[in-house]
Amino acid sequence: MEIFSALSFVLTSPMLIVAILLAAVVGMIVGAIPGLTAAAAIAMLLPITYYMDPLFALAFLYVIGKSGRYGGSIAAILFNTPGTAASAATQLDGYPLAQQGKAGKAMKVATISSVIGDFMGDILLIVGVGAIASVALRLGPPETFAIYFTAFIVIGSVIGKSIAKGLISALLGGLIAMIGLDPISGEERFTFGVFDLTNGIGLVPLMIGVFVLGEVFDQMEKRNKRMAALNTKAYDKNNDGLTWEEYKPCLPHAIRGGFIGSCIGILPGLGSAIAAFVSYGEGKRRAKKPEQWGKGALEGIAAPESANNAVSGPSMAPLMTLGIPGSTIGAILLGVFLIHGIQVGPTLFLTSKELIYQLFACGLIGIAAYGLIGYFGASQVAKLIVRIPQNVLYPMIFLTSFIASYSARGSMFDVLVMICAGVVGWFMRKYEFNTAAFIISFVLAKGTEESLRQSLLMSDGGLMVFIERPIALIFILLGISVMLLRIRSIRRERNQAENKELNNA
Amino acid sequence: MIRKSFVFAISSALSLTIFTSTIAKASDYPRRSINVVVPYKAGGGTDAYARALAAAAKGTINAPLVVVNKPGAGGLNGAQSTLGARPDGYTIMLTSGGSFLLSTLTRNTKIDALKSFEFVGQIGQLKTSLIVSNDSPYKTAQDLINAAKDSPSTLRWAHSGRGGFHYIAGLGFLAANGIEAQDVPFKGGGPARAAIMSNQTDFGFIGIQQLKGFEEQLRGLAVNASTRDQKVNSVPSFKELNIPYSNISSPVIILAPKNTPKDVITYLESSLKTITKKPIFVEMLSKRGTAPAYLPAEDTQNVLMEMKSDILPILENLKK
Repeated sequence: MEIFSALSFVLTSPMLIVAILLAAVVGMIVGAIPGLTAAAAIAMLLPITYYMDPLFALAFLYVIGKSGRYGGSIAAILFNTPGTAASAATQLDGYPLAQQGKAGKAMKVATISSVIGDFMGDILLIVGVGAIASVALRLGPPETFAIYFTAFIVIGSVIGKSIAKGLISALLGGLIAMIGLDPISGEERFTFGVFDLTNGIGLVPLMIGVFVLGEVFDQMEKRNKRMAALNTKAYDKNNDGLTWEEYKPCLPHAIRGGFIGSCIGILPGLGSAIAAFVSYGEGKRRAKKPEQWGKGALEGIAAPESANNAVSGPSMAPLMTLGIPGSTIGAILLGVFLIHGIQVGPTLFLTSKELIYQLFACGLIGIAAYGLIGYFGASQVAKLIVRIPQNVLYPMIFLTSFIASYSARGSMFDVLVMICAGVVGWFMRKYEFNTAAFIISFVLAKGTEESLRQSLLMSDGGLMVFIERPIALIFILLGISVMLLRIRSIRRERNQAENKELNNA
Repeated sequence: MIRKSFVFAISSALSLTIFTSTIAKASDYPRRSINVVVPYKAGGGTDAYARALAAAAKGTINAPLVVVNKPGAGGLNGAQSTLGARPDGYTIMLTSGGSFLLSTLTRNTKIDALKSFEFVGQIGQLKTSLIVSNDSPYKTAQDLINAAKDSPSTLRWAHSGRGGFHYIAGLGFLAANGIEAQDVPFKGGGPARAAIMSNQTDFGFIGIQQLKGFEEQLRGLAVNASTRDQKVNSVPSFKELNIPYSNISSPVIILAPKNTPKDVITYLESSLKTITKKPIFVEMLSKRGTAPAYLPAEDTQNVLMEMKSDILPILENLKK
């Protein structure tokens, strides 16, 4: 097994270990700051890696990507503002937990689950890189569309209390995603002649606006109502520790999340955010107490956190063997390969086998590093953060959101988008629309549209292409059955509620 | 002795002033990293040039070049964002000139490839090619043409986005041979290559350099040019096969937003000249199957202008 010799090589080179530790810390920090994504950090650090040895450069960036996906959970839990899109699902239960004084506990669950998911993904990558690549290669536009279709349905269970409001939120997200240039023909849509809109709406400013600024506005409004109620409770010493009994019910969710994340990682382009939401949706559907989800269930953290990290490993397979980057981080890593003259492609495992396994080994060590630092450090961070009074903390977050939305693309227009999205996000909160459904359908809509229209071009506009191709058919059927199950459970809930009312009356 | 040191002092003071004055001008720019917008996905042919440029710029341009991939809509997404950027030299675009020109001609856009930007220079040239997967029944370009003639409009072909030069060259090839096939656009060369490789489509037009590393999976049927490619010379050219085609290629050019200061453009232009000669640049491109081809700003503009007059009749023909 190449991986063991690679592991021993990495473990015996102190400089590499230092780079991995550094990357773990950097990733956590950028991940935790809303708007500053791991992808942005990697892009910024990319020039430095020119001067590094290829393994150094790749390991450094690869580990930042991993720990950045995890770091996003910190802000999601503490401030209800996800550090990255991938952790938007984590805040659904993370923030309620923090309000109950269980921030430390929540963060430990996030850490353990991220580590589980990440390990699962990496092991799948190491064991089955060849198989993953051949699977990825068989996924053409029809299959991709079928998977998006299923993802949309599974994510439907995060829609929340009101189905109508959830659907409206999701539709709004999809509509916003349509702004810009048509992905197939390149014509302008919904731009109203405004030049800046032709670039479309960026995910980063939209997300910061809806989640971060929306939250700040919300806190501002609530300020008079409940004076610092959160402050005294956010960190409770007695609720810091995590017992095995508490984590035990989370474990199946973490493992399922790891599995879902790994599968989504194989598909180029779907990414961590979608994995997290699919895992959350599926976890909620199968949960013993689904009514607890969204109100502070530890399982509700385990499921998305494990899934978003599990994406990291398998997404390397289509990247390295097919040259298709599955994410922004993937695209940048591809750049690093190219810069160092490593020919990405099916022959990579023949030409640079040693390097690749050493990179995988670095990934494994990186997971352990952010896991340990996170487990013991994150609650310290929580302790520190809750000491900051709210009237200092929220203005700080407010400022950061401006800086982050500007710096992502250096565009003032993005700041404007962020402010508008903030107001929208605030109203959505106020009237109980679903911000998570809004963002996730924004993320999903683009890929869905593109793959649907590519498929239709392949089939001269016929829908048979989704039925004739076995993989596509399986996913379509899966999506439909999830939808039927969901309709049944909603009806059952409704009947139960009606019976209750009858009994009460 | 005194005189000597005096002379030395004067001359060193002088050279220092000259030195500092040139530095002073150059030190105004660049003061921070320069964003190089690549309107295609990472991993494609144009992207390779940007990555090589960014790596080789070290020591010539005193700030890192940060490659920003903004794919979509045949390169117009990135062009539009570059156009919207402040013309301060901190945002420039590296694009596939042919694709960019075609996009501006075929799409409803206000961008004029020849007028909307300041030209900085050309650093390379990309050629497209007719490619099939290795298990495809078509062994030669003629096989494919015959198959398309036998069953019209049943074949599908992949490319990296409508309005890109691969797409137009593909259309040109189809029209010139009197055959019809449905195109399926993908976002960038990498995904298009994967689609050809996995037989999602019957053939495709992608950059000849995209064959590198995928020799076992892909079969190059012909290069869309009069001569074989310097690097991938196992693939015959359309001309030597006596198959009609449209002579459309794409120079890799660098543009800056309109009204970028003249001295910034000149600085970048001369830097490009130096960088494209560097062994590291040549070597990096060679690994990716391409080669540098430098042209100063004015010549770059002329090349594009000539190409425009060549393309317009072809476009008219395609409309029919």
